[in-house]
Amino acid sequence: MPDFFTSIGTLLDGSFLQSGALWALSTIPGFPPIIQTAHILAIAVVMGSVVLLDLRILGLAVPSQKISEMTSRLMPWLWWALAANLISGSFFLFGRPLRYFNNPIFGWKLSFLLPAVLLALFFHVMSNREEGYWELNSKRLWSARAIALLSLFLWIMVAMAGRWIAYVEYIYYPA
Amino acid sequence: MGFLNSPKWIDVENWPISWEIGGTSWFPFLESIHVIAAAFVVGSILMVDLRLLGFAAVKYPISTLSKELVPWSWGAFVIATITGLGMFITRAASHVVNPAFQWKIVLLALAGVNMAYFHFRVYKNISQWDNDLPTPTQLKVIGSLSLFLWSGVMLAGRWVGHII
Repeated sequence: MPDFFTSIGTLLDGSFLQSGALWALSTIPGFPPIIQTAHILAIAVVMGSVVLLDLRILGLAVPSQKISEMTSRLMPWLWWALAANLISGSFFLFGRPLRYFNNPIFGWKLSFLLPAVLLALFFHVMSNREEGYWELNSKRLWSARAIALLSLFLWIMVAMAGRWIAYVEYIYYPA
Repeated sequence: MGFLNSPKWIDVENWPISWEIGGTSWFPFLESIHVIAAAFVVGSILMVDLRLLGFAAVKYPISTLSKELVPWSWGAFVIATITGLGMFITRAASHVVNPAFQWKIVLLALAGVNMAYFHFRVYKNISQWDNDLPTPTQLKVIGSLSLFLWSGVMLAGRWVGHII
């Protein structure tokens, strides 16, 4: 792991953010599974927004919905879902910062997440710029398909990596 | 309680395939696929449920959304079921007596009943309200129940791992 990355963990370790998160996780009955469920439900919204849009652009799903209309309708859902994911995820991140910032799979998760978010942002911004931007000519349509394929891969890997953060510890680093 | 405490569940745990899954990276692999598939079940059904409530995708007839989205929900559900069974057999005896797991099965069954009611009882009159806004109360109830029950399935499912 790069030094700057692990040092974020060291910085957060012992901070008031950690004590706050640990207080919530250990004091409120059922808080960990409830927050994890909120995190997964927000992932479901990611699936129902950007992933569904990707499948539409690739010609696999919802043929009656227009790409431009879907983009303006679904992208706000993605941004709200990601905000919910950030908040629900941060309870665990702040609770045990060293666990995450020293875990290579967490590093992978962020490495998939950042380009996935930037790609979605780019797609949304360009779509807002001009009505039917991504369907105007075949060059743009093929760019949209390439973006959709990459985006689909990245979001699946984000979810996959998220689940493996917990497993990598005992599979590869037996205590 | 004979069924749930039956020694047969221990036999299931001792199947060679159960040992193979439980003792290798197969388990986390199946679980990641399970979570992704389950999230996709809810994500794809969400647009239909919100349309039934009149909150989203209101430009589209309910029948079109249902026809184009529900097959995706079913496909993802099949994947979630197969991967779920793969995990279940590794700890079958503990799972059947785990209250979170029992809740999950009950909520799944109720979600199934809700869906079947929509599909077999309500759907045949679809031409009467396919484009209606606001949607009839009956549809609002079905959409809300679906959202509530599927969220419950997710919560119970996540809770299984905290009890076992």
